[in-house]
Amino acid sequence: MADGGGADPPVLRVRNLSVTFTGSGRDVPAVRGIDFDVRAGEVLGIVGESGSGKSVTALAATGLLPPTARLSGSIRMGAVEVTTADAETLRTMRGRDVGMIFQDPTTTLNPVLPIGRQVIEGQVAHGLVPADQAMSRAAGLLREVDIPDPEARIAQYPHQFSGGMRQRAVIAMAMAGSKRLIIADEPTTALDVTVQAQVLAVLAKRQAQTGAAVILITHDLGVVAETADRVAVMYGGRIVETGEVADIFRHPRHPYTVGLLHSLPRLDIVAERLVPIPGQPPAPARLPSGCAFHPRCPIGRARDICRQDDPRLRELADRQTAPGHAAACHFPDEVQALLAQVAPKAAATAAPPAPDQAVPLLEVEGLHVHFPIRTGLLRRQTGTVRAVDGVSLVVRAGETLGLVGESGCGKTTTGRAIMGLVRATAGSVRFAGEEVTTMAPPALRRARRNMQYIFQDPYASLNPIKTVGDIVAEPLRIHKLFDGMGGMKRVAELFELVGLSATMLGRYPAEFSGGQKQRIGIARALALSPRLLILDEPVAALDVSIQAQVVNLLQDLQKELGLAYLFIAHDLSVVRHICDRVAVMYLGRIVEQSDKATLYATPTHPYTQSLLSAVPVPDPSRRGPGGKGGADRIVLEGDIPSPARPPTGCTFHPRCFRAEPRCAIESPIFRDFPGLPTQVACHFAGPRAMAPT
Amino acid sequence: MTSYILRRLAQLVPVLFLASIGIWAMVYAVPGSPVGAIVGENATPEQIADTIQRLGLDRPFYEQYWSWLSGAVLGDLGESIQSREPVLDLILTRVPATIQLGLAAILVGLVLGVPVAVVSALVPGSLIDRMLSGWSALALGVPTFWLGILLILLFGVQLHWLPSVSTYIPFFEDPVGALENLLLPALTLGTYVSGIFARFLRASLLGELKADYVRTARSKGLRERDVVGRHVMRNALLPFVTIVGLMLAAFVGGTVVTEAVFTYPGIGRLLIQAIGVRDYPLIQGCILFVLVIYVLMNVLVDVLYAYIDPRIEYR
Repeated sequence: MADGGGADPPVLRVRNLSVTFTGSGRDVPAVRGIDFDVRAGEVLGIVGESGSGKSVTALAATGLLPPTARLSGSIRMGAVEVTTADAETLRTMRGRDVGMIFQDPTTTLNPVLPIGRQVIEGQVAHGLVPADQAMSRAAGLLREVDIPDPEARIAQYPHQFSGGMRQRAVIAMAMAGSKRLIIADEPTTALDVTVQAQVLAVLAKRQAQTGAAVILITHDLGVVAETADRVAVMYGGRIVETGEVADIFRHPRHPYTVGLLHSLPRLDIVAERLVPIPGQPPAPARLPSGCAFHPRCPIGRARDICRQDDPRLRELADRQTAPGHAAACHFPDEVQALLAQVAPKAAATAAPPAPDQAVPLLEVEGLHVHFPIRTGLLRRQTGTVRAVDGVSLVVRAGETLGLVGESGCGKTTTGRAIMGLVRATAGSVRFAGEEVTTMAPPALRRARRNMQYIFQDPYASLNPIKTVGDIVAEPLRIHKLFDGMGGMKRVAELFELVGLSATMLGRYPAEFSGGQKQRIGIARALALSPRLLILDEPVAALDVSIQAQVVNLLQDLQKELGLAYLFIAHDLSVVRHICDRVAVMYLGRIVEQSDKATLYATPTHPYTQSLLSAVPVPDPSRRGPGGKGGADRIVLEGDIPSPARPPTGCTFHPRCFRAEPRCAIESPIFRDFPGLPTQVACHFAGPRAMAPT
Repeated sequence: MTSYILRRLAQLVPVLFLASIGIWAMVYAVPGSPVGAIVGENATPEQIADTIQRLGLDRPFYEQYWSWLSGAVLGDLGESIQSREPVLDLILTRVPATIQLGLAAILVGLVLGVPVAVVSALVPGSLIDRMLSGWSALALGVPTFWLGILLILLFGVQLHWLPSVSTYIPFFEDPVGALENLLLPALTLGTYVSGIFARFLRASLLGELKADYVRTARSKGLRERDVVGRHVMRNALLPFVTIVGLMLAAFVGGTVVTEAVFTYPGIGRLLIQAIGVRDYPLIQGCILFVLVIYVLMNVLVDVLYAYIDPRIEYR
């Protein structure tokens, strides 16, 4: 860990940087006067929600902003002053000294060029690698990031790599040569949690080898807690708090940092209810006066000084905080009180629902969804994608069942098959006792009144040319219930129900923020007074503070309306927060199912254990002594296999730390685990006795 | 891949069958008859009856269609009513001329259109972009017959640099003569198609320039010309190949107006002549030929896709 007053000059030194976009007719301030340093070997985490200016800062540091951006202040990268340097100097700097890793490895790589060439071309262009050695060097770089068989891989294209391998290739590319600064902008946000662990491990390994300074931009406080040495929290284009990572998490002194920490569902603390930050992050074009956070701040909301005067980032003088810890707040001393006041209350031994008495609303038994692979002249079926391969689950009235798993495990297909949106190949789906899979279309339509689906992406699931009022009214019209259920009055009620104003009915989706759009999606799903909602990653696309608001709304609605939820998600922390029971899916099958408390406290399937251990915990003090990542973490190797060619026996055995020869041959039966309310499919199921090393 | 091509070709059978019915019905739906054109105004009723019988026009509709179709499958498109020559021979003699003109026109279109698109896309919204966009709109909007006539008036009639009536000279026999005869019609068609190419490629480039991999390429410190030349261009060309293929198919299928203006001996002019005298078998043959070219070109474009886009794999 680098200390604040090291003798070495910082690799990157940013002073009073402001970035204003001028393109759209008026000036939009994206970054408003920020200072920070990054030293060699250090990881600076920049945390913030959308619109906070964190990505703009990264692009500014490398001179990659579009021409409509106006910069002031100073960015010194070694000997180069980035704000005034000419294009050629910046180009050389980017090629030799700076590497960048972006969010989505599927789009950051060029789809039509081979991986090897993309990895090495920057080095070749800057004369750092002779062209005749390019391919062997590219293979070497891929080997450094643990890509197996790199000599064969360099000739492949991005679509032949899995998501995690692509991001490792991007890391290889960004860290080629002797880069002094690596900027990673949400490097693991698009990845699954087990793959995230692999990628972060590779990033740390390459940093240790090269001694580069790293700027890690992320919204995920868990990732920051595990990997960063210092943190800068950004809000409304400014750094509102900065300091050493442990100090920021233990003694936050800005109300926004406290708000972020409290709105986060966590694996390590069970809270009855999240404490969201009210309102939403400001758009850079419409910043509030004074302190940009004051409209959402429990301390400053009603104070004149907060409304009028934008506080400067000042080093704190209190005894608890470490040196170098600074906050931009007029009342940092009051934040401490806030911390105790709004801390999430631990769940007061919530009465566990008596599940055995509750009536099953949805019963799924042996559900299979297979898609044929057809090839050849006559389109003969030559294979099968086993997307869902024998799923059984039960959702009772008023309860929430979480269905978790990584991408490609079949959880979304399961949800869609239950709704009848894709045809089940085999198995039965009973809703309130009635078989859904064999229903004729009119009966199925009637049944769907009682089951509604909420989609992940609130941006794509609302028709942009309809008013939101019409969107919410549409299910009523389709089922010819519009007048019967009260017409626009009903729609207005639904808006109030999800916390939106009925005056917004005539607006279009584009006028709403992500969180509001998801509320509209929920209102639409509730229009027909369903009894079951299938929620497919409903908060995955939202900012942390907004995510907490939507999670709370879902919990309130459930209480008020007695809804049952099938909650499909990859985020184990959110699932722990909202669900009563949890089912873990791997490659089309449920491998473990239990009540929430048992599953999280005593997971028995090695896959569940790996998943849980891979989730970064937003608490730097729980970082393992062995360095970043924690000592008892299980880092799964490889990727989820293709459901077209599932492994033999137990499909998890190639990645399992407990696998024995038997696992490759014999498929385990899903059965009760003695002594626990758990069902599990594993030959060697059992609690983790000790950390496997 | 072979299996994919075979499957695509097999899919053509129903398409062409339906089209053949359409072609047949279309010609018969048009009022008038070829008999009048053959026998002349002063023909006796016997002469007319003879001709009708010789052409088989007195047989039932479906019989006529069937004999035409069964012949067409075996490559026999019947005889021209006018010249009594086999229709297929007539078409085949025109094919090289049409292909030569089509390729030349596409080449001119690419030479004029691609640089315009690239320059426009690199400085979108600028004065130069607006000027070039105006130029492509003009190129697209000017009717080809009018541009052709202007070119003939200038280079043929006024300056006497180039012939005002173009004939077909095979390029590999006499390149200079071929170019002299090709230049004006190719320029006429090429200007038009360059407008399409420029607009299409500009839009495609602008879309690709916003892609994340472009930012990645820049972050590696590549020169802007390498970013565009090596990364963006290849992606932008993918949709562009389709439009080039379709335009080539259109030109090889005969460009009726331009061939007429320059009296160029291609398929297009053959078709016009056939329509003029209601030479049914020839009309049907020409249209069927154009159709086959179109469909084959589509298959060719799809196959080409697999070569330029590694993501596409045909099974």
